[in-house]
Order: sequence, then C-alpha cells, then structure tokens
Amino acid sequence: MKDIEHLLRVAAIFLVAIALFVAVRSVVKPESYGKLGRYRAAALDEIKALPVRYAGQQECGPCHKTQAREKAGSSHRGISCESCHGALAAHAAAPKTAKALKPEESSMRGFCLRCHEAAVSKPAKFPTVEGGKHNPDMACSMCHKPHSPKI
Amino acid sequence: MHDSVVIALRDTLDKVTGFIYPNELELQWSILIVLYPYLTGLVAGAFILASLERVFNVKVLKPTYRLSLLTALAFLMIAPLPLQVHLGHPERSFNILFTPNPTSAMAMFGFVYLWYLMAVLLMEIWLDYRKEIVGWADTDPSWLKRLIYKVMTLGVFKPTEKSFVIDDRVGRALTIIGLPSAVLLHGYVGFIFGSIKANPWWSTPLMPIIFLFSAMASGIAGVMLLYMFLCWARDVEIEMPCLDTVAKYFLTAVIVAFSLEMLESIQTAYEAEEHFDIIQLLIEGKLYISLIVIQICLGSLLPILLLGLTQIFELPEKVRKVFYAVSGTLSLIGIFAMRWNVVVGGQFFSKSLMGFTTYKLELAGREGLFSASVIAVLPFFVLAGLLWLLPPWENKPGGAA
Ligand code: HEC
Ligand code: HEC
Ligand code: HEC
Ligand code: HEC
Repeated sequence: MKDIEHLLRVAAIFLVAIALFVAVRSVVKPESYGKLGRYRAAALDEIKALPVRYAGQQECGPCHKTQAREKAGSSHRGISCESCHGALAAHAAAPKTAKALKPEESSMRGFCLRCHEAAVSKPAKFPTVEGGKHNPDMACSMCHKPHSPKI
Repeated sequence: MHDSVVIALRDTLDKVTGFIYPNELELQWSILIVLYPYLTGLVAGAFILASLERVFNVKVLKPTYRLSLLTALAFLMIAPLPLQVHLGHPERSFNILFTPNPTSAMAMFGFVYLWYLMAVLLMEIWLDYRKEIVGWADTDPSWLKRLIYKVMTLGVFKPTEKSFVIDDRVGRALTIIGLPSAVLLHGYVGFIFGSIKANPWWSTPLMPIIFLFSAMASGIAGVMLLYMFLCWARDVEIEMPCLDTVAKYFLTAVIVAFSLEMLESIQTAYEAEEHFDIIQLLIEGKLYISLIVIQICLGSLLPILLLGLTQIFELPEKVRKVFYAVSGTLSLIGIFAMRWNVVVGGQFFSKSLMGFTTYKLELAGREGLFSASVIAVLPFFVLAGLLWLLPPWENKPGGAA
C-alpha cells in the first residue's frame, strides 16, 4: 500500500478533476442543448423572435408600379429591389416615417461598378465596363436608368 | 452598401486570377493555422524520440530522454494558442468539451489533447522525476522551488525503494500507451486535412502518415539542435554516441517523410485527374519557392545528402556536428514550408479548378507575422522555465546519469 500511495493520490486528483468537470458541465451546459440535435433548441425561438428586416420585392410593386414594371422588363429583373435599396421592411410597413435608401448620385459609380467592373474572373457574357474608361466622372444614372439599364 | 465596403470589394478583384467562387477570395486559414500543425508536430516528434529510448531501451539516447519529454511538454502547452488566437474567443473553447460532438473530428480532438497532456506526458515526466523531486524538496537552496517540489511530491515525502520500481514499470506502460497517443495526436492533424473531400490538394489517405513522419523529423531535429545548443550553453561536452544515434533516427525520419511525400506527388501526377492541371500551375507558380526550393531541395534533399555523408564516410567530430546542425535547421525550415504549402497552398486554388486567389501575410494584427512569431518563440520560454524547475542533466541520486 505504501509503495503505491503516490499513485493512489494521483488517481484521486484525476477523479476529483473528472467530478469537477461533470459538476461544472451540468451548470454551464445550456438547458435546451441536445433536445433537437447538437445545438441549443432555444436558439430557434430566439432567431424567430428577431425582427424581419427585408420585405421582399413582391411588397414594393403595389406602391411603386412604374419601377416594378420597368425592372420586370429589363435585364435587372433578376435583382431584387432591396439588393439596391437596402432592407426595407420598416419602409414597406410605414413609408412616411421610415425612409427608403436610394443610391446617391455622388457614389453612383462605385455602386454600379461593384457588380459591373470588368474582371477576368467574371463570365464572358456578363456585361462589364472598365470603370476608369467608361465615361469617367459621370454618374451612371445620367445615361442608364437603374431600373432598365439598356440604352 | 457603404462606400468603403464597395471600394474594398472592387479592389479585391485584383487579387484574383481566373475564375473563383466568392467565398474563396479570402484565405481563411492563415499563418496561425500553419503554425499549429508545426507545433503539434514538434511535440509528437520529440515524444516519439523519448519513447524510443524508453520502450526499445536505446541506452545511448539517455542524455536526450528527459530533454525530449520537456520539449514535448513545452510545445504542447503552447500548441493550442495559435488556434485560440485565430478563432478569437478563447472563453468559448471549453464548449467543445462541455457540449461534445462525437461526429466531428475537430471537436473530439479536445479530448485527445487532454488525454495526451494529462495522462501521458505530465504523468510520465512526474514519474520519471519523482525520486529527484523528493530529494529537491528537502535540499534545494531556493524556498520557492522547495515549495513547488513539496507540492509536486503530493505529500509522499518518504517514498519506498519499491515504489520507484513500480514507477519505472508504470512509466514504461505509459510510454507504450503514449506512443499510439502521440501518433494519434499528430496523425489527427493530417487526418483533418486528408478528409476534406472538396480539396484535391489535401484529400488523400496518405496525409496523416505524411504529417506523422514529417512531425517525427521536425521533433527529432528540434531536440537534436536543443541538445547541441544546451551543451554549448552549459559548456559541457556533447556525448557523440548519443548525438550520432539521434542523427541516425533523424535521417530515417527525413527519408521516410520525403519518400512518402514524393510517392503521393508521383501518384497524383500519374493519375492526372481533372484537378491535376491546376495543381501543376500551383506548383510551378505560387508554390515554386516554398515547395520546390525550400521544402524539397533545401529542406529534404540537402539534409539527406549531408546526413548520408556522415553515414558513409567517417567524418571527424567537428564536421559531423556542423552537418547535424545545418541539416537540422534546414529540415525545420523545410517542414515549416511543408505545413505552409499544405495549409496555405491548398487554399490558393478555386474549387472550380479555374482560378487562384492570393494571400497577403500581414505584419501586425491578430493573424499577422508578428503574433505568429511571438507564438513560435513562446515554447522556448516555457522550456526555459521547465529546465529551471526540472533540470534534466542532474544525476539521479541513486546512480546512472
Ligand atoms: C405602402 C406603400 C409602399 C410600399 C409597400 C413601399 N413603398 Fe417605397 N415609398 C412609398 C412612398 C409613399 C414613398 C414616398 C415617401 C416620401 O417621399 O416621403 C416611397 C419612397 C420610396 C423610395 C424613394 C426614396 C427617395 O429618397 O426618393 C424608394 C427608393 C422606395 N420607396 C423603395 C421601396 C422599395 C424597394 C419597396 C419594397 C421593399 C417599397 N419602397 C415599398 C410607399 C411604399
Ligand atoms: C440595380 C439597382 C436597383 C434595383 C434592382 C432597383 N432600384 Fe430603385 N433605384 C435605383 C437607383 C440607382 C435609383 C436612383 C436613381 C436616380 O437617382 O436617378 C433608384 C430610385 C428608385 C426610386 C425613386 C424614384 C426614381 O425612380 O428615381 C424608387 C421609388 C425605386 N427606385 C423603387 C424601386 C423598386 C420598387 C424596385 C424593385 C421593383 C427597385 N427600385 C429596384 C437602383 C435600383
Ligand atoms: C447587384 C448587382 C448589380 C448592380 C448593383 C447593378 N447591376 Fe446592372 N446588371 C446586373 C445584372 C445581373 C445584369 C444582367 C446581366 C445578364 O443579362 O446576364 C445587369 C445588366 C446591366 C446592363 C446591361 C443591360 C442590357 O440589357 O444589356 C447595364 C447597362 C447595367 N446593368 C447597368 C447598371 C447600372 C448603371 C447600375 C447602377 C445604377 C447597375 N447596373 C447596377 C447586376 C447589377
Ligand atoms: C455618358 C453616358 C454613360 C454613362 C455616364 C455611363 N454609360 Fe454605360 N453605356 C453607355 C452607352 C451609350 C452604352 C452602350 C454603348 C455600347 O455598348 O458601347 C453603355 C454600355 C454599358 C454597359 C455594357 C452593356 C452591354 O450590354 O454590354 C455597361 C455594363 C455599362 N454601360 C455600365 C455603366 C456603368 C456601371 C456606368 C457608371 C460607372 C456607366 N455605364 C456610365 C453610356 C453611359
């Protein structure tokens, strides 16, 4: 017994450590963890409770008939209104109090070129221009209508 | 969208060649993830060197036995740091232990790591030093050290002779368990990369084995250099039979690691699957310096040549030492390059196999060169502390060195 006393003490330390781990775990483990899978089941309700920020573009049409019609017939038809105007659920619910965002003339070039700047990595069929050479210093919207950009 | 974001997005296009997917633009696994397998590799390698002495009773290796164990411990203590810094939320890391996910290799690794640290390495060092610790607890001139040693005896101040015999046996059993644990520890790192199906540069079952042998090479080289350095710093003679034997193991590990790497490359080249074109471009382009020049030529072939010469010819001691030091250093650099080529290289090319992105190593910043260098140097400070507390070169009270 005396010969393995030190080993028994080490074993005791390990046992205490494991017991401590189990104890701490039972305290810190989130309550709903594991109910549905390896995540907190309560996270679903928390996420559900977050406010919805996007309205979806079918909401815009009834109030903005012109833009909706224009866009539907243009090559920008695949781009949702809110990818250019920002999240607008609040605006759609109360248009007078919550203003919609609109790309400003001063930053228009950067705004359009984020999609249209020429780059080798883009598919050849995608319409691109070289920002530095394509009518520099003029806002794109002076010539292209954003909702129907073909000239 | 904010103007600065728009401009930043546009500027990143310059970093790209060919066609890549948007999520591949930024390299997620930075230099810290290069450092991580490098550090665990040194741990596994150093431990395997120690095990050779213990399990196979290679007596000449005695002078490096304890040094290898302490080196393994020092590096193991720092090894998780690059991951913590990379992920940025150290306070959350316990969750992988508290809410374990048995189907995730990465998540399970926390347990492998803990097992290896607590049950294998700490136990083995403690058992090996216990006799001295009991002595030092009485005799050490510094009260602080005496106190630490007293705690480390766990209150058993008068151990019986028989208990040391038992310790020796338990220690050997631990080493025998420890060897596969060390293999698991490092094999796992290769496994993580090897099991990423989406990346042809990583996805090969050889990956764990390649990582393992390069880990052995780096760990043995590290201990060899440390041993030479410490002898020089303490102004004692290097025990040449020991150094020669370590170098022999080192050569073996380098040869096996290099052969496996080449085998894998040749196989990939011969199969020439659809991803081979982009890999060829990668090797000839972005990885030319770090793979062909540093990893293969300087990090593998030159050390094999130098070490081979020491095996074939009877070179004088001085020349051998220089050859060992040079090839050890080269190999450590080469193996770092190998980790770099795997981790960063594998993220250079697109899953589309039609384009590349770039990686710009920052100097400052959380994932920059500076923080990586600090982490890489830290284990040496830990090791200095361990050498201060548990000097490996003291004679055992009972006999042999
Ligand atoms: C309930 C009707 C209604 C809905 C739904 C609605 N809007 Fe509006 N929107 C308005 C009105 C009214 C104005 C004019 C507000 C003003 O001038 O104060 C306006 C103005 C705008 C403006 C111009 C802002 C400016 O500064 O000139 C934009 C852009 C806009 N809306 C976009 C949208 C988008 C995109 C949607 C769909 C997510 C949408 N709106 C949904 C009624 C609506
Ligand atoms: C490609 C980006 C883009 C998309 C998609 C887009 N818009 Fe616009 N929209 C603009 C820009 C740019 C302006 C500002 C035009 C200007 O200042 O000359 C604008 C202006 C407006 C205005 C202000 C009145 C006007 O015509 O100048 C309204 C209202 C509007 N958009 C509604 C919509 C609605 C509704 C949709 C979806 C059917 C939509 N937009 C889709 C870019 C876009
Ligand atoms: C969210 C990305 C996006 C933004 C922002 C955007 N576009 Fe486009 N644009 C597209 C897409 C997608 C197409 C259609 C490409 C196709 O047909 O394959 C397109 C088509 C075009 C075309 C070709 C029209 C045609 O019928 O040939 C022009 C011109 C154009 N956009 C101008 C603009 C201008 C001007 C702006 C800024 C007001 C702008 N775009 C903003 C994505 C964008
Ligand atoms: C001075 C008027 C003018 C301005 C300002 C201007 N464009 Fe154009 N753009 C044109 C004309 C005209 C064409 C069509 C002629 C042609 O195809 O060369 C054209 C063609 C394009 C096309 C190619 C369409 C295709 O089918 O390939 C794109 C994309 C485009 N413009 C985007 C932009 C963007 C983005 C901006 C702002 C940075 C911009 N343009 C500013 C006049 C203008």
